[in-house]
Amino acid sequence: MSRSPGRKQENHKISRELFVLTYGALVAQLCKEYEKDEDVNACLDRMGYSIGIRLIDDFLARSAVKKCRSYSETADMIAQVAFKMYLGVTPSVSCNSVTGNEFSLILDKNPLVDFVEELPAERASLCYCNLLCGVIRGALEMVHLAAEVSFLQDRLKGDAVTEIGITFLRKPEDRKHRRN
Amino acid sequence: AAVAAAVPRQRGLLCSQNYPLYIRSVPTENELKFHYTVHTSLDVVDEKISAMGKALVDQRELYLGLLYPTEDYKVYGYVTNSKVKFVMVVDSSNTALRDNEIRSMFRKLHNSYTDIMCNPFYNPGDRIHSRAFDTMVNSMMMQVC
Repeated sequence: MSRSPGRKQENHKISRELFVLTYGALVAQLCKEYEKDEDVNACLDRMGYSIGIRLIDDFLARSAVKKCRSYSETADMIAQVAFKMYLGVTPSVSCNSVTGNEFSLILDKNPLVDFVEELPAERASLCYCNLLCGVIRGALEMVHLAAEVSFLQDRLKGDAVTEIGITFLRKPEDRKHRRN
Repeated sequence: AAVAAAVPRQRGLLCSQNYPLYIRSVPTENELKFHYTVHTSLDVVDEKISAMGKALVDQRELYLGLLYPTEDYKVYGYVTNSKVKFVMVVDSSNTALRDNEIRSMFRKLHNSYTDIMCNPFYNPGDRIHSRAFDTMVNSMMMQVC
């Protein structure tokens, strides 16, 4: 793993509470700045994207995983390795479509919403954790996988579970590449 | 009968905001009377804190104990280091309630209050509307009554 040399192995952990409170403050501030929920969601997604395009290299360096051979492997990797590494939770993965490019990550526990019981009444369509969708989208893009990522269900909105949907978008050039 | 109330800190010297953020009583009649009891007990809380003197303030325990007994009720107090006051009013007839039980109830209140404070959508000073807090208070009061 190429993270340690030339750099003191600093395993200073930052408190979970601080992280969760920081994320909460971020969302609350965005809510004050934007009137519409869609704007807040879009902003969170953009921020997440910006994190994802950078985080992917850290992830690949730390995890030393092999190249994924299928969309299904990729989805498993995101759930079992990436989520575990960065958030300490392991969502379960299910495949939603026959074509094999739509997946769902079902989050049993979501540390980001530790202190949020429910969304305020005037923010009913806020996707509180939309940052995560942006992160996944950005990270996938840097390994040349285009995907649409969004929340399909959200416990904060009253649904039974929290579900993130990942739809890999097939590009016609990909097929040619694999044959070579 | 039992009542729990959380009261925010006094803001500034000129305006003292001592209104309850949360008040719950079982049974629910006479809630107004409890409001009054809680309000008057705040003076006792302030007295207790100021009576301790500067040297002791650092070591001050959060639990203040029995504030004052009336013929019908016993009133207990608890103040956090951020000057948020919790008041509990219990029937005098309830002699089974021990000191350490009251202490642990206050600690639960304090912990739940801290969780509320961590909610990014909660503004300090707002009235508390939280299902988790309600559930905790209800279960606590059911145990007592």
